[in-house]
Amino acid sequence: MTDDGRPALTMEAVGVRYPGGTVALDGVTLSLAPGEFTAVVGPSGCGKSTLLRLAAGLLKPTAGTVGRATERLGFVFQDSTLLPWRSVRRNVELAGELTGVPARERRDRAGEALRRVGLSHVADALPGTLSGGMRMRVSLARTLTGRPDLMLFDEPFGSVDEITRGRLGDDLQELFAADGFAGLLVTHSVAEAVYLSQRVLVMADRPGRLVGEVAVPLPYPRRPEVRFSPAFTELTSQVTALLQGGTADRIEVAA
Amino acid sequence: MTRVLTRQARRLAPPAAVAALVLAAWYFGSYVLIDADRRFLLPAPHEVVKVGFGDPANLAELLAALRLSAEVAVTGLVCAAVLGLALAILMSQARWVERSLYPYAVALQTVPVLALVPLLGFWFGFGFSSRVLTCVLIALFPIVANSLFGLRSVDPALHDLFTLHRAGRLTRLVKLQLPAALPAILTGLRISAGAAVIGAIVGDFFFQQGEPGLGQLIYVYPRRLQSEMLFAAVFLASAFGVIVFWLFGILARQATSWHSSQHRRPDTGGAPR
Repeated sequence: MTDDGRPALTMEAVGVRYPGGTVALDGVTLSLAPGEFTAVVGPSGCGKSTLLRLAAGLLKPTAGTVGRATERLGFVFQDSTLLPWRSVRRNVELAGELTGVPARERRDRAGEALRRVGLSHVADALPGTLSGGMRMRVSLARTLTGRPDLMLFDEPFGSVDEITRGRLGDDLQELFAADGFAGLLVTHSVAEAVYLSQRVLVMADRPGRLVGEVAVPLPYPRRPEVRFSPAFTELTSQVTALLQGGTADRIEVAA
Repeated sequence: MTRVLTRQARRLAPPAAVAALVLAAWYFGSYVLIDADRRFLLPAPHEVVKVGFGDPANLAELLAALRLSAEVAVTGLVCAAVLGLALAILMSQARWVERSLYPYAVALQTVPVLALVPLLGFWFGFGFSSRVLTCVLIALFPIVANSLFGLRSVDPALHDLFTLHRAGRLTRLVKLQLPAALPAILTGLRISAGAAVIGAIVGDFFFQQGEPGLGQLIYVYPRRLQSEMLFAAVFLASAFGVIVFWLFGILARQATSWHSSQHRRPDTGGAPR
C-alpha cells in the first residue's frame, strides 16, 4: 500500500496527439486516491484505452504529465493474454519470472493466486482447454502475484458472456475488498461501471476528454440485487445523461 | 473399435482407389497402347520392381545414390535451417536489418538456381560442398520468410505484457517470440525440407561429375535406355521427398500441440477445425 497519502495515480492536463494530427486525448486531469476504485465509461473510440495505456506507462503523453506513486502495477487486458504453450501455473508464474522473483517464491505466490481465483484444480492444464471466463481468471491471478497497489483494467470482461461477466465482477469486488488496491476500470457498460466503482468518470469522443463524474456512494460489498434498487437506477441514469450530452453523433429518438 | 476401423477405411479408400486407377492405366498404356518393341518407353510396374529393386546389383546402385542424395539434402537443410532462423531473428530485431537483407533473400528465391549451378561448380568443385550449397540456396528462403512472419506476428497485447514487466530483448525473444513463432518456423522448415530434397537431386542432375546421386542416375538411365531403372530412380526420389515432408508434418504436430490449428474437436468427428 502507498500509505503516505499521495494519490496512486495523477494526470495533469494530459494530451495525446498522433503524428497525423489526430487528437486522441485532450486536457485530461484526474487523481486516484490509494485504495480508490474508479471506473471510466465512454463511447468506443473515445480514448479510454489510450488513457489506460498512459496510466501504465505503455504510452508517453504528448502534453501534460502522468504520475504514479507506486511501481507495483497490475494491468488486466481485454483478452486473457496467456501464453498458450505454458500451463496455467507457468502462466501465473510469468509475471514473477519477468521481474526476477526467486523461483520458490514465484511458485508460492502463483499457488496462492490460483487458490484465490478458485482455479487450483486446473493448474497443469493448457489455457486452450479452459473456458473464456476461466482464462480471464488466470489472467487476474497472474496480475495478483505482483501484489499490485494500482490495478488497471482495460474492458477486462469484454470477451466473455453476460453471466460470466457478472461473476467475474463479483470476484473482482472480493479481491478489491481484501487487497485494497487502487483500481481504474475502463468499460463501455454503464451498469458495470456503477456496480463496481466508487466513482464513475465519463468521457466523450473527438477529441477524447473527460466530461463529468458521478460519485457512487453505495456501500461494499455490493450484492447483485443492488442493480435493481432505485439508488442504482438513479446513478446509471445520471451517467447515461452525461454520456449522451457529450457524444457528438447522438441519435435523437422521437418520443 | 469397428467404428474406428470404418473411419480409417473411409479415409484411406479414396487415395487407394486413385492408386488402383493409376496402376490400371499404367498397365493399359504399357501392354495395349504401346507395341512390344517400344515397351521401354513405359515398362510395366512389376518390371520396374523386378529390375530396379529385385536385382541386387541394381538395388545397390540405387541405394548408394539415394544415400548420397539424402546426405546432401539433410546437410543442406540443417545449414539452411540454422542460417535461415538466425537471419530471421536478426531481421526481427531491427527494421533496418530487415530492410537491408530481405530484398536479397527474395532475390535468392527468384534467381534460377540452375543458372548458379555452373558457377558453384566452377568455384567450389563438383563434390559434396557445392551440392550442399545448392540445397541451401533453394531451401533458405522458406525458412527465413516463415520464421520472420512468425516472429513478427506475436499478439501486440502480449508484447505489452512483456513491456509492463520490463522484459529485455533476449527475454522477449526466448520466452515470447520464438515459442509463438514455432508453428510458422516449423511450416517453413517443412517447405524447406521438400525444397532441399529437390535441390539435392536437381543439383546432382546438373553437376554430372563426382559420385553419382539420384539426379545423375536420372540423367544417365534414359541415355542408356534403362527405362526400368529410370522409373525406379524416379520412384525412390519421389518417395524420399514424401517421407521427409511427412516426417516434418509429424514433428510440427508434436511440437505445437498447444496451437489452435492442432486442436481437434470431438463434435466434428475428429476433423481439425
